[in-house]
Amino acid sequence: MKVYNGSEQTDASTTERIKVGIAEYDVSTNGAVLTTSGLGSCIGVAVRDEAVGASGLVHVMLPAADEVDGGNPAKFADTGVETLVAEMERVGADRADMIAKIAGGSDMLDFSKDGSGIGARNADVVKETLEEMDIPVVNEDVGGDHGRSLRFEGSSGDLVVKSANMDSRRL
Amino acid sequence: MPEVLIADDSEFMRNLLREILEEDHQIIDEVENGVEAVEAYKENNPDLVMMDIVMPIRDGIEATDEIKSTDPSANVIMCTSVGQEEKMKEAVKAGADGYITKPFQKPSVMEAIEDVVPS
Amino acid sequence: MKVDIQSLGTFNQLAHEGAQQATASMAQMTGIDAAVDVTKITLVDRDDIGEHLDDRNFVGVQFDFEGELSGQTALVMDQSCSETLTDALLPGDSAADMAESGVKEIGNIMMSGFIDGWADYLETTIDHSPPTYIEGIGRDVIPDSKTVEGDDDSADQLFVFKSQIEWLEESVDFYIYMLPDYDSLTDLMMTHADTAGDAIPIDKLQVFNRMTERGTEKAADNVSMMTGIETEAEVSQISFARIEDVPKQIGNAQYVGTVVEFTGLPSGFLLVLFDEQSAKNVAEALMPTDVDSDELTDQHTAAIEELGNIMTSGFVDGWANVLETSVDHTPPRLVHDMGQAILDPLAAQVGQHQEHAFIIDSRMQTDDIEFEAEIHALPNEQELREALDELMVERAEETEADPDELFQ
Repeated sequence: MKVYNGSEQTDASTTERIKVGIAEYDVSTNGAVLTTSGLGSCIGVAVRDEAVGASGLVHVMLPAADEVDGGNPAKFADTGVETLVAEMERVGADRADMIAKIAGGSDMLDFSKDGSGIGARNADVVKETLEEMDIPVVNEDVGGDHGRSLRFEGSSGDLVVKSANMDSRRL
Repeated sequence: MPEVLIADDSEFMRNLLREILEEDHQIIDEVENGVEAVEAYKENNPDLVMMDIVMPIRDGIEATDEIKSTDPSANVIMCTSVGQEEKMKEAVKAGADGYITKPFQKPSVMEAIEDVVPS
Repeated sequence: MKVDIQSLGTFNQLAHEGAQQATASMAQMTGIDAAVDVTKITLVDRDDIGEHLDDRNFVGVQFDFEGELSGQTALVMDQSCSETLTDALLPGDSAADMAESGVKEIGNIMMSGFIDGWADYLETTIDHSPPTYIEGIGRDVIPDSKTVEGDDDSADQLFVFKSQIEWLEESVDFYIYMLPDYDSLTDLMMTHADTAGDAIPIDKLQVFNRMTERGTEKAADNVSMMTGIETEAEVSQISFARIEDVPKQIGNAQYVGTVVEFTGLPSGFLLVLFDEQSAKNVAEALMPTDVDSDELTDQHTAAIEELGNIMTSGFVDGWANVLETSVDHTPPRLVHDMGQAILDPLAAQVGQHQEHAFIIDSRMQTDDIEFEAEIHALPNEQELREALDELMVERAEETEADPDELFQ
């Protein structure tokens, strides 16, 4: 669900900041900073088309839409990535020029006994879906046992990953 | 002094129990799960086991069951945060001799031990 | 009295869309960018409605509404929020003088948008009274829902729909509450219940809430006993929300605590969480020797781990004893991370089987030192339903078992 679209009214003097919630996505073409916070096993997928200056971020929660009922495509790794890419194309980006950076998918608090935690499966499905679309993952910070918050800078295309008790990483 | 084995996965709890017991008891071993508890019991044959219930690998009720089935004269006191009646019944069935719920104070621990292994 | 999960979901969605409509109206009038963060339905004690509002001055607007659904609704914001709003509405003017009428007008338009969605869905009209300006400290600002004539204690608990609205630029507190009359809502939910298959006995949710309250009291007693700090159970409530809104139940500050998976009827996850300062304070109260460190040390976390374990037992034992079953749980896993990141893997694990979730929230605190603890449980929905079916109302107070009766 797209809750709001801040890109309609831009204040040229300041960089716009767009917050992306869980199971939400947003796209910007004006260099806005897209942020999302508190990723545990969830994954933030940041997609960018440098040529047209478009950036998009989706915060997905579960691996595959067909495993669960429920209407919100941005909740799932597969449909979430597809929806984000479609929205990027709608604002003029070209799939052939897109690159992706991903972060999240921690295995913290994974109580599953078979070892295939949701965080790892989320990461697998995100990568498979991007690969099917021929969008390369140029950088990633996934797994581990800690939470992350993300800041995707529309001007530079940098994805800044902040973790509790750790220095932030710039992807 | 009676020899006591402490089985609890929490280091904090083991320390607390040790402090309460060491004046009048000899702590012969401290272990962190039910498997180790059974092994340590066989090895040391203590007078008393203070046994937690919720532990990794093997829980305290299963461990009690095995200890009691090999040595019916063993003295085992469950020492747990679980206060569920069904769990208490399971503990009775496994052969536990006493049941202390956490958080506990020294007098209640001493009283439970006195009931099971009178000094 | 049974309501199916689907209609709870639908009602939650109606409240969410109503809040979005209301927020969009506000954004249009003021040019302030805001979004609805979370909407949830909570069954809570009348006395605890709005308990999360701190001791600041809040203002707002309230209405009565009646029709197929009757009750009260209120829009509540903190003082600075109302000033920003009226400034935006009447730039340059002596906004302070106009604050009350500005808030009233915004409230009027927002709340109409909120109510209209319900009327449309229910294919009926819902009338509302003119807006009344309200003002108060903390939760006093929230109107009490009307007491039902000749009421028994059943209406001590109310279903409250709460939407939290977030502004992008500023940190302000802005909420929409809907407090339907209990009978009016449950009658309506039953009318809209279509299948018996996933129906949940909502009258028993009240009993479940009481049980949770006892569990929280027990957990608080355990803390008092271990630390010598007199700790009071504050609030116990059960909420219903979309699975993706579950992680937002906790703030994004750093938390320290324990998580267990419990199995039995129901199964699910249980979290005991402390903010960092509380964790440090309570751990030090537990430790035999003084610790000279501003940081959380391994000694602190070991104490927290055991405290979490004992609080967990105190909390779930009551369920087991009332339901005459046993609830097992894994050894506690220690967590120290961003609040939302702690909850999202658990919500995701539950979310593999369900679209919405019940969340049980409790809080305890003490006046002696800075200390607050939260307990959150995330049960499997279907199993909670079965547990409620099994729940015998007359056993609701049988939360404690006595080992002396069994060990003689």
